[in-house]
Amino acid sequence: MMRRIWAVALNTFREALRNRVLMVLLLFAVGLMAFSLVLGELSLHEEVRVIKDIGLAGISAVGILIALFLGVNLLSKELDRKTVYFVIPKPLHRWEFLLGKYAGIAGTLAILVVTMAVILGLFVIGQGGRPGLAMVRAEMLILLELWLLTAVALLFSAFSSPYLSAMFTGSLWVIGRNTLELRTFADKFEGTPLSALLRAVTWIVPDFHLFYVSGASVTVHESFVSWVYIVQASAYAVAYSVACLVIAMLLFARRDFT
Amino acid sequence: MPVIEVSELRKTYLRGFWRIRTVALHGISLAVGAGEVFGFLGPNGAGKTTTIKILMGLVFASSGVARVLGAPAGHREAKQRLGYLPENPYFYDYLTVRELLDMVGRLHGQSSAERRRHAGELIERVGLGSAANRPLRSFSKGMLQRAGLAQALMGRPDLVVLDEPMSGLDPLGRKEVRDLIFELRAAGTTVFFSTHILSDATMLCDRVGIIVGGRLRGIGPLGELLNPAIQSVEVVWSAAEDERVRLREHAGAHERTSEGEVFRTPDPALAQAFVREVVTAGGEVLQLHRHRQSLEELFVSEAERGGGTT
Repeated sequence: MMRRIWAVALNTFREALRNRVLMVLLLFAVGLMAFSLVLGELSLHEEVRVIKDIGLAGISAVGILIALFLGVNLLSKELDRKTVYFVIPKPLHRWEFLLGKYAGIAGTLAILVVTMAVILGLFVIGQGGRPGLAMVRAEMLILLELWLLTAVALLFSAFSSPYLSAMFTGSLWVIGRNTLELRTFADKFEGTPLSALLRAVTWIVPDFHLFYVSGASVTVHESFVSWVYIVQASAYAVAYSVACLVIAMLLFARRDFT
Repeated sequence: MPVIEVSELRKTYLRGFWRIRTVALHGISLAVGAGEVFGFLGPNGAGKTTTIKILMGLVFASSGVARVLGAPAGHREAKQRLGYLPENPYFYDYLTVRELLDMVGRLHGQSSAERRRHAGELIERVGLGSAANRPLRSFSKGMLQRAGLAQALMGRPDLVVLDEPMSGLDPLGRKEVRDLIFELRAAGTTVFFSTHILSDATMLCDRVGIIVGGRLRGIGPLGELLNPAIQSVEVVWSAAEDERVRLREHAGAHERTSEGEVFRTPDPALAQAFVREVVTAGGEVLQLHRHRQSLEELFVSEAERGGGTT
């Protein structure tokens, strides 16, 4: 089973790495970090903080774009290019195929985030700063967010077009990033149906706010988020992703490829 | 035990927003034995590809039974022992043919050494040796078809299912595919293939099934399906000008072609009498054809009976 999942994952990884859009986005992130050096010079002895701020924001933004792009196209591309007619009759279960695709994208994202993190670390060191564990934790949170976002995108792509999948996933990400504000609103309208609705939304929608990283927090509060917090966030991301993947597998298992 | 066993197989598609029902298969039944080369013939939209897709686990039957190599169609155990070439194959175009075969080998659980060796053999066998390290996106249609055949054979299958394998191939490519099918048969591999090219079916198949409008119209060895009776006799002849005028008045159909005078009649006795007359008149019989029903005629008549198009 693992060998088959690995075969699909390896192929997905190869496809992602040979995708020029991805390389352009990666270069964009590096360009953004380089630009932060200029902005750092304009600040008053806050060069390292500016680089960390903009660098982490760049990794997060580019990562989200890549996760969305890869996630929503994961299955639709197979259908559009008709490669699904080649791969499904091979000796693997449909769920193994789906899991392999997800693993391939997750691996690609991990490599991209690590690459960008290393480059950011070099920029920070170049400015006389120290990347530190707080930054590593922040980068881990970004990666967890990207994995969760990919799982959500995969779920939508199991039954809808890439445009709809991108729209649904993008909307959920925006709502999920603002769960704190939604809870505040719910408190404000306590006792009304709107409050109940908002609370329900915060329960159902993936809580992307959990993974929200701010460079200011990293620099100012070196404690940032603890390892316990990282473990809790990981557990949440894994549980939510597994739920998305299981639903996607169930939808995919009975789909006709006409 | 049959390699392919289909019983009362039905498929209804629900299409569009209003879920309009389209019946693709009206309950077909067939069985293909081990080592057979079975041709699945039918006009466009007859249900050939739907049947194959059900056998490959790409589409689910609405009702009925489809078993492949003793397991329900689409089961991993069945897929482990079969190779499939889709119609107009599409592969991951960023891969080279070597990488494609490596991926297929991995899915079949082959070891690294086995994958490398077998992929190399297959690449040479389908004539892609010089293009083995080029991405598939640079391949012509014929080359893709060859790559498709190689990937179908990568798992050393007991059953090979080919959907329109001659599609897009030049005469040389078609001959190579025919030779490959002969090789597979000689090795005891069961081959199930759909085709429009009836001459290929005539040449290759032990048995054929004719499907029209989602219904199986006929199944069996070609010799049994085709009417053995002589349908017509054609005599190509020549004679001196004055004799030609006289002989053309003989009962039957007459025509003048580049090959000579042609006489055609459904009655063999009449044809025999005509030949005698040509010889008596000092003329020459250049050719004589006894025409029996061809697969093409059977196919057309079945398609017309079923309301299909060819």
